[in-house]
Amino acid sequence: MNIRTGIKRPNVLAGLGGFAWLGVIVLPIYFILLTSLRPRTDYFTENPLSIPSRPTLDAYQQVLENNFLLYFGNSVIVTVASVFVILLVSLMAAYVVVRNRSKPARRIFQFFLLGIAIPIQATIIPVYYLIVQLGLYDTLWALILPSIAFSIPLSVMILSNFLRDVPGELFESMTIDGAGQAKMLWSLVLPMSRPAIVTVGIYDALQVWNGFLFPLVLTQSAHARVIPLSLWSYQGEFTMNIPAVLAAVVISVIPLLTAYIIGRRQLVSGLTAGFGK
Amino acid sequence: MKSLTNRALAVVSALALALSSAACSAGTGPDPTGTGPANATAENATAWALTGGSEEAFRASFDRWNSSHPDATIEAEWFANDAYKEKIRTSVGSGNAPTLIYSWAGGTLADYVKNGSVADISSAVAGLSSKVLPSVLANGQIDGKTYAIPNNQSQPAILFYNKKLLAQAGVSGVPTTYSELLDAVAKLKAAGITPISLAGQSKWPELMYIQYLTDRIGGPEVFQAILDGKKGAWSDPAITEALTKIQELVNAGAFGDAFGSVTADSGADTALVHTGKAAMVLQGAWVYPDFLNNAADFVAAGDLGFANFPAVGSGKGDPANIVGNPANFWSVSAAASAGAQKTATDYLDAEIYSPQMIADLLAVGAVPPVIGLEDEIAKADNPEFLGFVYSMVKDAPHFQLSWDQALPARQGQALLDNLAAIFLGQQTPEQFVTAMNATLV
Amino acid sequence: MPTKLSTGRRGVERLPAAMGADRRPARRGPSLWLAAPALALFGVFAIVPLLGVLALSFTDWDGLGSPAWAGLSNWARILADPLTHEAFVLTVKVTVFSWLTQAPLSLLLGVFMAGRQRYRAVLSVLFFLPLLFSAAAVGIAFKSLLDPNFGIGAAFGVGWLSQDWLGNPRLALWVVLFVIAWCFVPFHSLLYQAGVRQIPASLYEAARLDRANGVQQFFLITLPQLKYTIITSSTLMVVGSLTYFDLIFVLTGGGPGNGTRILPLHMYLLGFRSYDMGGASVVGVFLVVVGLTVSLALNRLSGAHKMESQMEGL
Repeated sequence: MNIRTGIKRPNVLAGLGGFAWLGVIVLPIYFILLTSLRPRTDYFTENPLSIPSRPTLDAYQQVLENNFLLYFGNSVIVTVASVFVILLVSLMAAYVVVRNRSKPARRIFQFFLLGIAIPIQATIIPVYYLIVQLGLYDTLWALILPSIAFSIPLSVMILSNFLRDVPGELFESMTIDGAGQAKMLWSLVLPMSRPAIVTVGIYDALQVWNGFLFPLVLTQSAHARVIPLSLWSYQGEFTMNIPAVLAAVVISVIPLLTAYIIGRRQLVSGLTAGFGK
Repeated sequence: MKSLTNRALAVVSALALALSSAACSAGTGPDPTGTGPANATAENATAWALTGGSEEAFRASFDRWNSSHPDATIEAEWFANDAYKEKIRTSVGSGNAPTLIYSWAGGTLADYVKNGSVADISSAVAGLSSKVLPSVLANGQIDGKTYAIPNNQSQPAILFYNKKLLAQAGVSGVPTTYSELLDAVAKLKAAGITPISLAGQSKWPELMYIQYLTDRIGGPEVFQAILDGKKGAWSDPAITEALTKIQELVNAGAFGDAFGSVTADSGADTALVHTGKAAMVLQGAWVYPDFLNNAADFVAAGDLGFANFPAVGSGKGDPANIVGNPANFWSVSAAASAGAQKTATDYLDAEIYSPQMIADLLAVGAVPPVIGLEDEIAKADNPEFLGFVYSMVKDAPHFQLSWDQALPARQGQALLDNLAAIFLGQQTPEQFVTAMNATLV
Repeated sequence: MPTKLSTGRRGVERLPAAMGADRRPARRGPSLWLAAPALALFGVFAIVPLLGVLALSFTDWDGLGSPAWAGLSNWARILADPLTHEAFVLTVKVTVFSWLTQAPLSLLLGVFMAGRQRYRAVLSVLFFLPLLFSAAAVGIAFKSLLDPNFGIGAAFGVGWLSQDWLGNPRLALWVVLFVIAWCFVPFHSLLYQAGVRQIPASLYEAARLDRANGVQQFFLITLPQLKYTIITSSTLMVVGSLTYFDLIFVLTGGGPGNGTRILPLHMYLLGFRSYDMGGASVVGVFLVVVGLTVSLALNRLSGAHKMESQMEGL
């Protein structure tokens, strides 16, 4: 009942365009997959888009033997810790921004709005200096703390936009029932903003998981390496072993792909909900 | 009362933050390598080294040391060249340097010494001075003190070539003069072969051309003046002529039309030669082990040739002069604990150019700058290449350290950027000279 | 919980009591303390560096030792550097052209994906895939795909395909723009898809009664109704142009020559290759100013600041 685009007859042009774009999207992915299954020596001789004549999992084995699980674990720790803290502190801040009508609360909101417009790249050198001075260089802390800081503005904005739609009466009736701040947060704010929390969580998790600049500048050793940076360093380590590098790319996508297959709807709506009008 | 709960809440969230971070430090665990003096336990030390090239010899050396010194081990971490150069300086600057710092000596070492980042190891490694070629050893000395010692092979830039492809294009033998080179380029191009493989995206391989051409045309004095910071030193006519010749080569199609995206880090430039797509490559001697690893059959069949860079007819420079890296060097971080420093110097004393290490280096096709190696080379695999490099290094009147390493970092980067513009034809030699002179102020 | 809340006595009835007994909390809501952790984290790791970049731009620091006061010398040097001018022009080019390519493409794809035909739903699932790749992964994948010797050129044996896509100064920028579009169009088309689906069906029905054809409907209804989506998406694209650093870093490293050295990359290379941290900070300050100006301008334009006025009305 929701046919809104108003197209009655099949739109051939749109269909062709759609499939053309599909080709653009799929070709590189097809190339990555195929090459990761090609033996190293055949990479130089075989047609890059042909089915490998002697498919092998050697490349994957080499990646797994090169600390990939360690990097994977680091990525998980950094992402989970960052997203957890981001959600916690942003939700509290959003609650204040929406329900506290004092002037400082409004200033806080404007302060955060300002933060959305700052390109994080621009501050990387002082961030580096700060992290070094704090003695956090080359630890996972060096990734978690700035990732949190730079995700707070957008998270607060999305959460407060959402909380604003919660009827004020709900808060007032709870206040009257004598609920304290903690109870208020736990029993009202948290459950009411669950969809927005999912949105923000997914968005921030993607940002942190795929982040490259902070790991590049703020860590150096294998012990604090996360997946995106590991792809880059594999490129140098596996000299001209392109299949192995691309195998690492494939493995790096698997966790997100799994998440996508399981929770496609949440992921898609999560990504867009925050930016709806 | 309410504000108390609020404060409590704030505390709880701070706690949660602390907890989540405790979880993550548990995840990384106590850093077993102890990168950084603060957590380097008693005697253990760390080292960073480069992948490719003589990597195997280093690995063997660390393994030997660690198995005989379980209480004073050296844990090594491996980096690709470009990644390493970006990382090492920040780690030294942040006090997180590994105990053993790998370098090219030159301007970077001078900066380290100026900042007190590396230790004076003169007395600890005094034994080496009788073993190593003095000209190479001198690179690690500043004001009479030793701050770095060579740790691997000498790496002159060598013209490697695919014999079959040259023959196929009707080129009789490897070019020995610049005009022969132009001739060979024309013939190869006509035969549909990329004459010279060049890793343009990495930029630094392009340096070898300006370094060799400047040396052949004007001699080593030209660059020495630049290094000394003489005002307008880049205006030397030898530089302009070298740049003109580079553009002449580019325009003649010497590097094909696809050098801009080739990277040296991944070994793509040498791969083009052993897969038969390009006939020659001017690269450091360190790529020979890569040829052995990646194209053993090609080397075994005797298809890989090697030569010094061609002479330039009227030039002042001695055609036996070489450019490249006299060696790589180890320094000991001054920020490391005394115990770690001791482990590092003990290791250097015991392992550097020990008979076993020399044998390992020769086995992977790397020639250490050690005195009196003729017999060992004769006994090793690939004696032809090893002997060629050894005499090249030993007999060279002058061995110029790569310019980007010799110069301060800022000037070195400006050089790479401007040189890339020369190769791409986006800059004239005159513009290059003006831009580079500006860095000397 | 919600059940209890809705069955509870209505707040309005009790309002007078609340005003009297517990006036302040009821009017002012939660304590500002709750915002403290977010403010602290944001302040220390975002605002302090923001001020730091300004401070460092007046110092000389080579990464070793400590920054030393340098006055305006970095500013004079960096602003006179032709490389900076080049990087600035490139950044403007990248911003403009990536908007010009991505905005229409995302809009059309969004409309396409919003259609309810089954094949469109299937295609939409696949269109999402690039969003799963990190910029590093995309960079590495395209770098090998576009390799002039072993990449796509070798696949078809078609002459024009075996270009030095990333190494030819005339091509590299366009190829980079294409890869950026590959990465980001999926996200923006999702925004448009969501936007299109929010347009009331009645508008289209009315248009059909007026015999408007598909193209007319697109221009008369779809496009105007998507105004806010267009502004949101464009803001993200423009500000995002300043963050293409990682992709370009992995793909070309700023090359060939300096052909794709946009400002964020220029800053990184100055800071961590030339170890000219002061000079890099000058570029950083510039980026901050540009980022803020662009967002504020777009904010004005879009009337997004009505969010604040909305708040004031609360």
